[in-house]
Amino acid sequence: MSSRISRRQFMVRGTGAMAGLITAMLSVPAVGFLLSPLWAATKEIWVDVQGGPIDDVPEGLPTARIAAVPLGSGPPAPPVNRIVYVTKYQGKLYAFSNICTHMQCDVHWEPSLDLFECPCHGGLYAITGRNVGGPPPQPLPQWVHRVYTGADGKQYLQIANRLEEQI
Amino acid sequence: MSDRTVGTDVPGVAAPESNGTAPTEERGDFIGIVPEPVLGPFRRSWAWFDDRTGISGLLYKGLYEAVPKQGGWAYTLGSATLVVIIVQFFTGIFLLLAYVPSVTQAYSSLLYLRTNDLFGDWMRGIHLWGAYILMLLIGAHALRTFISASYKKPRELNWISGVMLFFLVLAMAITGAMLPWDQASYWTAVVVTNIPHYLPVIGNGVRTLWRGGDFVGPVTLTRTFALHIWVLPALLLGLIGGHLYLLRRHGEFGSWVNYRTTTGDPEREVAERVRHAEPPYPTRGAEPQFSVPSETVDFFPDQLFKDTLVSLVLVVFIFVMGLISGAPLDGPANAATLTYVPTPEWFYLPLDQLLVFFPTALVGFGVFVVVGIAATLMLALPFIDRNPERHPIRRPDVLIPAFFLIGTVIYLAMLGVNRLYNL
Repeated sequence: MSSRISRRQFMVRGTGAMAGLITAMLSVPAVGFLLSPLWAATKEIWVDVQGGPIDDVPEGLPTARIAAVPLGSGPPAPPVNRIVYVTKYQGKLYAFSNICTHMQCDVHWEPSLDLFECPCHGGLYAITGRNVGGPPPQPLPQWVHRVYTGADGKQYLQIANRLEEQI
Repeated sequence: MSDRTVGTDVPGVAAPESNGTAPTEERGDFIGIVPEPVLGPFRRSWAWFDDRTGISGLLYKGLYEAVPKQGGWAYTLGSATLVVIIVQFFTGIFLLLAYVPSVTQAYSSLLYLRTNDLFGDWMRGIHLWGAYILMLLIGAHALRTFISASYKKPRELNWISGVMLFFLVLAMAITGAMLPWDQASYWTAVVVTNIPHYLPVIGNGVRTLWRGGDFVGPVTLTRTFALHIWVLPALLLGLIGGHLYLLRRHGEFGSWVNYRTTTGDPEREVAERVRHAEPPYPTRGAEPQFSVPSETVDFFPDQLFKDTLVSLVLVVFIFVMGLISGAPLDGPANAATLTYVPTPEWFYLPLDQLLVFFPTALVGFGVFVVVGIAATLMLALPFIDRNPERHPIRRPDVLIPAFFLIGTVIYLAMLGVNRLYNL
């Protein structure tokens, strides 16, 4: 072998290599730690929508109910109270969240407009959840939900801790 | 050009060339041996410390540097910004004594601070009003620098580091607003952490990383806390160091009033100035005409007096407003509200109003392309404006578009106020 390196070159390259190794060693746990929420599994948890059976929810008038929804991931934390807009319209049942698809502000049903309205940037949604005005890019999302019949013969609503569509 | 009196303005700070205090008593007759000065215990300790650290030389260099003479009041804004940032660090550390970064305890810890800690609410008030004044100060400092063309060769990086400091302070403001975990803070967290998901490809991932999941939760608070308490302040301190180093390296530019020539032979006059320039002038890389101010004074005490007076007035204002207006604390965070109207802080109103204008598919474009172009224009200003003129009248090509942009930003803020507060 004729490709010998000088003492100086050995030290220059060795210093660079060792510094690179230190950086790499610091990066592996740091990056993994930082990125861990990306692959942390969210446990699906079902909770009852509060306020009793949904039989008496009137047709054509979204009715706000509350559900205590756990996050299902991350460190232990109490469940978060969320709005469920129980909506019956033309024979269909919807379980809307009140999370605007624009900036996730708190949407409310506005009876004077017959629309869901967002206070932040004026987003509007029809009773079917379709985005009909303002900046929202998607329809109003529903909670993943299911209806079951209680022991009293009435209908109850349950939701899971996630939305039907990613917003 | 300045009338400097060496080593007498600050007690204990000697000019390097005078090498301490003159001996008070002659000792020893041996030829060739320099007599040791007899010093009192304080002077002796100082001499020891100075010998080991070289601090008097540093102080001398820092305090007696030449700065432009005319327009000194306009050049106080940068140091006032620094003073208010120090106030923010100081009050922020005190708030850490009480604040608990947890979704179950953040709000109650501040409620406790409000009702039980002596001056606790005053401390919060100072921190909030300090942030408000900081925004105005940075804006005024940037505007002054812009109008006086101080960003031109060789001070491009002074400007760029300043713009980056402005962005960092905006990030400090938004992360700080997310910490109290009251209604205002919770909804700020929801909206702000949602914005990155409009980025193409990586957007959803960035939102998930910041929130620690699909929804705002305990991880959102701890991650934002880490940003506000360590990550951003560390970057801020580093950049401030760089910004000040560059200021000293190139010298304070001042403005066009400092570079006028008064004789019929400007070239000769400029050459004369360069010949008699005091450090750090003549500025390396600048055109000769703009390399030495016509008149300079020592930073201490001429400029420092003005700097300190402006800082004092602002700090008094911050303390008074912190006491009488304080910092608000809404009801506790509640995601199940139908009536809460999330509103941004006043300095984010123009950006918030932009969101109204970009419907559906254009939201991502509005958020990132428009803001990205504005940020790039700000950062790249020294490379866009290569006109050697410094006088604002002779720079309409940059001043008119810039004032049009500034006017647009103010108009957007007014529209936002009108929309959110129904004025």
